[in-house]
Formats: sequence, C-alpha cells, structure tokens
Amino acid sequence: MKREYELVYIFDSALEEAQINERLDRFHALLKTPDTPEPITETNHWGKRTLAYEIRGKEVGYYVVVHFEAEPTMLGELERALKLDEGVIRYLIVVNEGLSAAGVSAAHDSGPSPRRRDDDDEGGDE
Amino acid sequence: MRRPRKSCPVCEAGVRFIDYKDERMLSRFQTERGKIIPSRLSGMCARHQRQLARAIKRARHIALLPFISGYSR
Repeated sequence: MKREYELVYIFDSALEEAQINERLDRFHALLKTPDTPEPITETNHWGKRTLAYEIRGKEVGYYVVVHFEAEPTMLGELERALKLDEGVIRYLIVVNEGLSAAGVSAAHDSGPSPRRRDDDDEGGDE
Repeated sequence: MRRPRKSCPVCEAGVRFIDYKDERMLSRFQTERGKIIPSRLSGMCARHQRQLARAIKRARHIALLPFISGYSR
C-alpha cells in the first residue's frame, strides 16, 4: 500500500544550486516506479538557514522539503543513497500527516519576530 | 489543594496537528536551555503534549531547535 511521506533534506551549503538539483533528481529517480511515474507531489526549497547546532562542523545548511508517495519498501533504497551522499548532512523521512511543505517559519518571514534564531546578520531582521 | 486545570494553549489556538517545522511555535514550549516544558506547567492536554514532544524531537533532529541551548564548549 502506498503512503504519503515528507522528506526534509539538509544539504551542505557549499553546494551550488545546480548540484543540489542534480542530487534531488537522482534521489527522486529512485522513487519512480511504473505505478507512480510522478512520485513527488510537492517540493519546497527553504534555502540556506543557520543550523541550531553544528553538524559535521557546519553551521549553515540548505533545506529542501519534499512530499512524495511511495511504497514503504522503496524507502530502504532511498535512505541508503541519502546516507552515502556526502552532500546531505542530515535528512528526515516521516509519514505526512497532512501538513504543508512550506516552512511555517518561512511563511512568517515577512513579519518581524524577536524569537528568530536563523538570521545571519545580513538582513537586519527588525 | 488542587489547582483548577489550565486550558490547553494549543487547543485554544485551534491547531489540530502540531507541525515539527514550526520551530518558533515549538520554542515557546521549551525552557531557555531547550528542555520540553512539562504539561503540568504549560497546561497542555495529553494529546497535544504527546504531539509536541514528538514534534520537538523531530525539529531537533533537523537542527531547527537545539538539543541544549546556550551551551558552548
């Protein structure tokens, strides 16, 4: 039985946009089956954000959130590819509970908030 | 003496599912060190407290929230 999943990637922020898209295409090709020629239902690039803590010595990551449909048995292969790729510093696959891929905080980015921790001093938040 | 139960802040906001990507909302239910605030203090209902705990743990995994904040080596 097919299920809907949500996948959050954190890519190394040193990668170019093109390299990230190339990786996304490669990972998503793993999910394609004759049954589901278009497994991806939603893609949302959050872009670069400061990580809440360092991962492998990196402080910034490039976030991409993707919704897809797949058989649970397909995930093993995808996870293997994600673990092997050095450009992916972290990922999370969860069953989608009907939430949107847009980062909620990305949606409030227009409004100033004193609680933001993901600024990198350039914008001058408030 | 028992205090009357506080009402759940999440139910009041009309939220059905707590989104682990909404780190600003989640951070309201963390102490300044990043611990999850117990429902006994926040008045959260049991269902939302369970969702909250899971959401915060997911958010920590994808580095939206710190495991420990204000800590430096």
